[in-house]
Amino acid sequence: MAARTVGSVQERNAPVDTVLISDNSVALEPVDLDREPSSHTLWIRARDLPRVNGFILKPEGACRGPLCIPVAPDMVRGDAVNFTAFAESVGQCVVAEPDARIWSIGEMPAHGRDLATSRIAPDFTLPDRLGRPVHLAGFRGKKALVITWASW
Amino acid sequence: MYADLRDRSFEIIAAAQDTGGEAVAGEFYDAAHATFTTLIDTTHAVSSAFHFTNVPMGVWIDEQGRSVRPAEPAWTASRTNTFGGKPLEIEGEAYVAALRDWVINGEASAFVLSDEEFARRVTSRSPAEREADASFKLAVWCHQTGNTDLADKHFARAQALNPADWNYHRQQWSFAPDANRKWLAKFHALDQPYYPTLQLRR
Repeated sequence: MAARTVGSVQERNAPVDTVLISDNSVALEPVDLDREPSSHTLWIRARDLPRVNGFILKPEGACRGPLCIPVAPDMVRGDAVNFTAFAESVGQCVVAEPDARIWSIGEMPAHGRDLATSRIAPDFTLPDRLGRPVHLAGFRGKKALVITWASW
Repeated sequence: MYADLRDRSFEIIAAAQDTGGEAVAGEFYDAAHATFTTLIDTTHAVSSAFHFTNVPMGVWIDEQGRSVRPAEPAWTASRTNTFGGKPLEIEGEAYVAALRDWVINGEASAFVLSDEEFARRVTSRSPAEREADASFKLAVWCHQTGNTDLADKHFARAQALNPADWNYHRQQWSFAPDANRKWLAKFHALDQPYYPTLQLRR
């Protein structure tokens, strides 16, 4: 996961909020908004939402492609959005270590249902042995066996 | 197998599922003289995507990106091992024969599952299983960034929430000196198969 960190922090030693989602880690400049140090809630800049989960905040809600999900008024304050409340509103679990400033977001409940009904294999991107990104979707046109193994 | 089938527009995409990455996986790829696609999966991304619960497991994907068969054990040789008197059956030869049949015959293969059978075999993760996976990702992150206490806390949480997922256990045990003892103890206590049952016929 460390090799696929998205985003950067401007100042060394500045606090960073880290979101783990879809096997990416996203480093974010903290949005304080009176956050208690141990609060499970994470506010992020609305402009950061697309690189966290692919959604864009619009007047009609949070949108990703043709999908728009209404966002409750109290989830938005100025240029910030309550990211954990939004994740939980779409059924994603949030496992947080707020003192360490880490939030891990679970898969959407629809993931398994979508796989079962559409049969479309979920895409993933992983590095090859030289660190070059390889996308499953890049193998369209071939039959493929995707297999895991481990040294342990 | 790969040498026989690669010219039939077939690819093996292998993911080394190990937090240690290339440093620990590379020597195994080298020893295998791998000519297929070799990936490094330090966060178990493939297992999360397809709901794998052990290694090795695999899925078949056709030319249109559709899943032909869901997550199942993917051994390449058959054998029976016995651990402390308890047998562990590995069915690899039949799996490879089925895979070969599909690569050659495509949709006409007897091993292509119908939509109904495919859907029956794919189950959505429960809330506890989704939370376990999120906890596991947090544990891996903490392990990789040197926060051992938090890593241990969330490895344990993932294992408690989804005890049937051996990846959560085996990955953490790989850091411990007594991994074999822990594996054997859990293996002996099992009241369900170590791997999901391989049901090749539809």
